[in-house]
Amino acid sequence: MTPALQVEGLGVAFGGIRAVDGVSFMAQRQAITTVIGPNGAGKSTLFNLISGQIPPHTGRVALDGVDRTGAPPHLMQRAGLGRSFQITNLFFELTVFENLQLAAQRLEPPRQMLRRIGHGEASLQRVGELVERFSLAAKLGELAGALSHGEQRRLEIAVALAAKPSVLLLDEPTQGMSHGDTADTARLIRDLSRDVTILLIEHDIGLVMDISDHIVVMHQGRMLAEGAPPEVRANPAVKAAYFGDASC
Amino acid sequence: MRSASSKDASAFLAFDRSGLAMRASHVLVVILVVAAFGFAAVGAALNDTFYLRLATEALIFGGFALSVDILLGYTGLLSLGHALYFGFGAYVSALVLKETPSFWAAMGAVLAATLVFGFITGLIANRVRGVYFALVTFGIAQVAAKAVYNTRALGASDGLIGIPIVPINLGFMTVMSNAPVAFFLFTLVFVILLYVAAAYLLDTSFGRILGALRVNEHRVPFLGYSTHRARLSIYVFAAIIAALSGALYPMLRGFVSPELMFFTTSGNAVITVVIGGVGTLAGALYGSVILTVLKSVIGTMTEHHLIVIGILFMAVVIFLPKGLMGVIRPRIARRLRGGAR
Repeated sequence: MTPALQVEGLGVAFGGIRAVDGVSFMAQRQAITTVIGPNGAGKSTLFNLISGQIPPHTGRVALDGVDRTGAPPHLMQRAGLGRSFQITNLFFELTVFENLQLAAQRLEPPRQMLRRIGHGEASLQRVGELVERFSLAAKLGELAGALSHGEQRRLEIAVALAAKPSVLLLDEPTQGMSHGDTADTARLIRDLSRDVTILLIEHDIGLVMDISDHIVVMHQGRMLAEGAPPEVRANPAVKAAYFGDASC
Repeated sequence: MRSASSKDASAFLAFDRSGLAMRASHVLVVILVVAAFGFAAVGAALNDTFYLRLATEALIFGGFALSVDILLGYTGLLSLGHALYFGFGAYVSALVLKETPSFWAAMGAVLAATLVFGFITGLIANRVRGVYFALVTFGIAQVAAKAVYNTRALGASDGLIGIPIVPINLGFMTVMSNAPVAFFLFTLVFVILLYVAAAYLLDTSFGRILGALRVNEHRVPFLGYSTHRARLSIYVFAAIIAALSGALYPMLRGFVSPELMFFTTSGNAVITVVIGGVGTLAGALYGSVILTVLKSVIGTMTEHHLIVIGILFMAVVIFLPKGLMGVIRPRIARRLRGGAR
């Protein structure tokens, strides 16, 4: 079966420094692939390359078997790629409903763009589904900027998911969350992976080992190792560069 | 709070602040229209010409201010050269009317020409963001204004004079552009139609993308929307609104001059929107009425009326940063939300 996302030899350099260098991996359908690595390993830059925010200097990105290398973010989104951000990136001056509606209206046919939003049944239906799934019913009328950090992180995922992407890139979705919120979010991500392919960046190694189907380890812009969680945990190079020999 | 189930999706619209705010703007515009009809009735009874023509001018510049608010208030684009399109519309209208005094020919020519002109200049202006956008729009307008100023075929610094009186054939009646009451009411309807078109567009799914651009432009592409296409589209639309307003100017005044494209005209429109309330649409119309009345009243007392306007502008920015309608409109929106529940 064609992988949902295929990355081959992806690389980019900034002023002579290779931030991402020859990274290749595949994200299988309805699975969670997690990218780990120390700060500065190039994980977020890799996300920026895949989502079209930065055009790559080398390599290719394929979504559902179709080469999308160099496509700008809006075309990558239309091709089925949704993403969330490490630093919460919402429309803080809009209500929760408006954030969700804005993202979900991509589901409407083009003619709906010039009609009032009340006529967009598909998008309103989708907002209803997201509100239930992400427990945001009580917050619909509040400004996104007025939500708690945990609620904002949930809304961030909901917005990325609104247009029903086939691949969802989640950049540290549990960053800054309490222990309880982190556990809830881990369950949510596991649940989401039944419908959508997930590519995750996460620092919480316990969570990573718990929910990931496949792990890609990055170090200094390069891919150090990849495999199932037990394989990665047992990999000597990963132990040395990331976990530390004594901890594993 | 309403139950938020997918079965009752339309109930979500109660949480649509932008939609509620737009409905509140409609209420304010209805009040303005009622007041305008009252003003016309009094003007007709007193057989007035001066104040009716002054009010007509306020409406024309109100239509122009609408276009500035579409860019500034709804898309977050500060144009310092938007008078270019107002003046462009006025000149195209004047040139057509000098050849044939047909209102519809003038409007058709203005619409078609602005579509092309706005698209070309929009491609240039929308290559940059923020303060650079303001500077580029300023630069384009200055270049065009100076070109007009030095073109003999366009009347150079004198502008175009001798625009004939225009009979506006509406099918069921004909309005003469020199009839104070009739032309005032016609201009009122015309500008309200521009308002309706703008308000409708801003309340669509496309309009919501513009709001998103204003709030967080960098996030918009990741929702699947081309920011460049959205900005260019609304830029051309705003140019058309400005040009159609400008097209009425030679019908009212009988002449056009390069000053219509100058920075002072662009700056006045920005001041109008700020005083009326940025991002309210209705504020553009109210702001224009307020500014025109103030200029006229203060102008009879002193020739230095711009000093007073400048002080008023600073006072509004400091004490009423959301403008007059920015203060009033949320109260109406709250009432509408209360009524909707």
